Amino acid sequence: MTTYKAQYYPGESKIAKNRKKYMDPSYKLKKLRTISDDDLVKLMGHRVPGEAYKSVHPPLEEMGEPVCPIRELVEPTPGAKAGDRIRYIQFTDSVYFTPLTPYMRAWMGHTRYRGVDIGVLSGRVPLEMRERDLEKVAKELVETEIFDPARCGIRGATVHGHSLRLDENGMMFDALRRFVFDKKTGEVVYVKDQIGVPLDKPISVGKPIKEEELREMTSEYRVDGVPFRQDKEMIEFVQRLHMLRTEAGFDPNKVKGI
Amino acid sequence: MAKYPDKIDLYDDRGRVFASKVPVEAVSPLHNPAIQKIVSYIKQCVSVNLEGIEKALATGEVGGKWCIIKGRSVKLDLTKNAESIADSLKKCLQVTKDDDTEVKVLKGGKHLLVKVPAKRLNAGVEYTTGFTATAAALCCTIVENFKVNLWDADLIHAAVWGRYPQTMEPLGGNVSSLLSVPQQNEGMGYALRNVPCAHIALITKKNAMNAAALSAIMEQAAMFEMGDAVGNFERLHLLGLAYQGLNANNLVYDLVKENAKTGTLGDVAISTVKRALADGVIKPLEKKPSGYTAYTTDDLNKWNAYAAAGLLAGTMITCGSARSMQHCPSVFIYFNDLIERETGLPGVDFGRVAGTGVEMAFFSHSIYGGGNPAVFHGNHIVTRHSKGFTIPCVAAAVALDAGTVIYTPEKISGVVGETLSEVPELREPLRYVNEAAVSIMGGV
Repeated sequence: MTTYKAQYYPGESKIAKNRKKYMDPSYKLKKLRTISDDDLVKLMGHRVPGEAYKSVHPPLEEMGEPVCPIRELVEPTPGAKAGDRIRYIQFTDSVYFTPLTPYMRAWMGHTRYRGVDIGVLSGRVPLEMRERDLEKVAKELVETEIFDPARCGIRGATVHGHSLRLDENGMMFDALRRFVFDKKTGEVVYVKDQIGVPLDKPISVGKPIKEEELREMTSEYRVDGVPFRQDKEMIEFVQRLHMLRTEAGFDPNKVKGI
Repeated sequence: MAKYPDKIDLYDDRGRVFASKVPVEAVSPLHNPAIQKIVSYIKQCVSVNLEGIEKALATGEVGGKWCIIKGRSVKLDLTKNAESIADSLKKCLQVTKDDDTEVKVLKGGKHLLVKVPAKRLNAGVEYTTGFTATAAALCCTIVENFKVNLWDADLIHAAVWGRYPQTMEPLGGNVSSLLSVPQQNEGMGYALRNVPCAHIALITKKNAMNAAALSAIMEQAAMFEMGDAVGNFERLHLLGLAYQGLNANNLVYDLVKENAKTGTLGDVAISTVKRALADGVIKPLEKKPSGYTAYTTDDLNKWNAYAAAGLLAGTMITCGSARSMQHCPSVFIYFNDLIERETGLPGVDFGRVAGTGVEMAFFSHSIYGGGNPAVFHGNHIVTRHSKGFTIPCVAAAVALDAGTVIYTPEKISGVVGETLSEVPELREPLRYVNEAAVSIMGGV
């Protein structure tokens, strides 16, 4: 078999290049901050730090599995093996030059992580996994360059805010005021977990990324940034796909070499 | 003389070759005797919950939950006398002495698996004969064998048929068929699509390859019945059935094996593209300024079959690694997004699977009601749009779940799935369809 190099994403703009970079699992996401394991568990609010994982079914080894060649082939994740509950982390990404668009979270999530269930809605993107697997993935999602403390929100409920103007400190609106800007330290601090339950101690997620940097890092096409229509290659890709889907719906036998 | 030049290699569910260079039409629902037998058995086979009837008669709870007729009760030992009921029922249903009628006693008399003779179905135009003949014959049998009097016979009817005909379907009845009543089919030819994936997973005893195969057989046979797999579109469906549902050329198994230990959904999409390139199904069209290569094909039907096989493998990797069914709608959207972005070619069913995934994601994640993937089927309002390529993956996902849902497939399927798993052709369709394909390969 000839060697094949995965392409991930078409387009010639810097936005397209960023998209490709984030989707390519061989690119290591830059770590910008450290959030302790316990703080992350508190932010998600599914269990108390140190508490054992609750289970939805017995460990696979104990319960035994039906005779199935696919189960024999496919290695379960550690969380699935243990019978963990399925839990989530949910993000809201502002329309103002955040590193990831909602769809990018799904594309990137499915190229980088195994056994994920990601859904994209207009203002929120839930990622669901077995609990111990989720904690591992969530750490990378919050600690690296794809998370901006001011414009990305960890929000389990009342997610509204992604399309609203930023406040005087450059923060995305949050009706539950889960995160606040600490003027003394210049850092964004979570005072409530993703659902909005107050935390015993505030959790800092670090300083917001600068606007100029975000404009370079973003995967959002914007008319006041890099407009979608400027990326000719991307436009051609979308239009071609639309044409092929339509032509195929009419007669798949006539779609040849186009 | 075969209509299409395509030849496929047949494999079993464990990736072992069964036969080579078989014409694809040998697995067509129009030719393959095993597929025709499966379709026929789905019409003929009916399950009876004798224990349920006994309980309904004892308590007067007939025609649905909490519908108790106070003061009405008939105590009959039906389960203890299951063998004699089965004998009488068989005689009642038989058209001729040696016809294909069968009544099998299961679970110590709690359930019966009934096969209504084909002659009864052939004498009518509706598939409901399986149900109606069994329910009516069972009423006669119980009345006769237990000497039920005129005043209690109505209760027997209600315990067997449920609230029908006051309701459209036999609500609370104890005879069930895999097929729903015709009024619940969303359009012409939808009958074989109106079977929840919970039944499919249980019939195949949660073997994901067989679950996908049975589901694909039913979905693609329905495509012929609906008028979709006709003319310009017949080959699209034949190749889809062969490569996605029946593991032709071992494509599904190979893709799963390649990504079994550490692969992601994205990896499966890339493996699918690699295989399509190696097999000459797609080729580069042009290199763009960014270095991105757009691909093209001279056989979009085959590309669709490859992508559909990749979609099933992607489901098996994602839902299989998490041992959870809820991930499947996410797979339907993003496998297609990823493979479209990787190649510039349309995804499975030319965008319809991705669209189906969007709706199914909403209605399977408690956002707008709905239910878990086990309740979905090809007749469901949010999953009917893809022409047979989505539901086999849902069936596989349900089969791979280790117990993450509140309403389990067992709870949803009830007696039907468990009973019909006694029919070998339904339980192991891959094996029987392969054998039948080989038996006719010279003649198509």
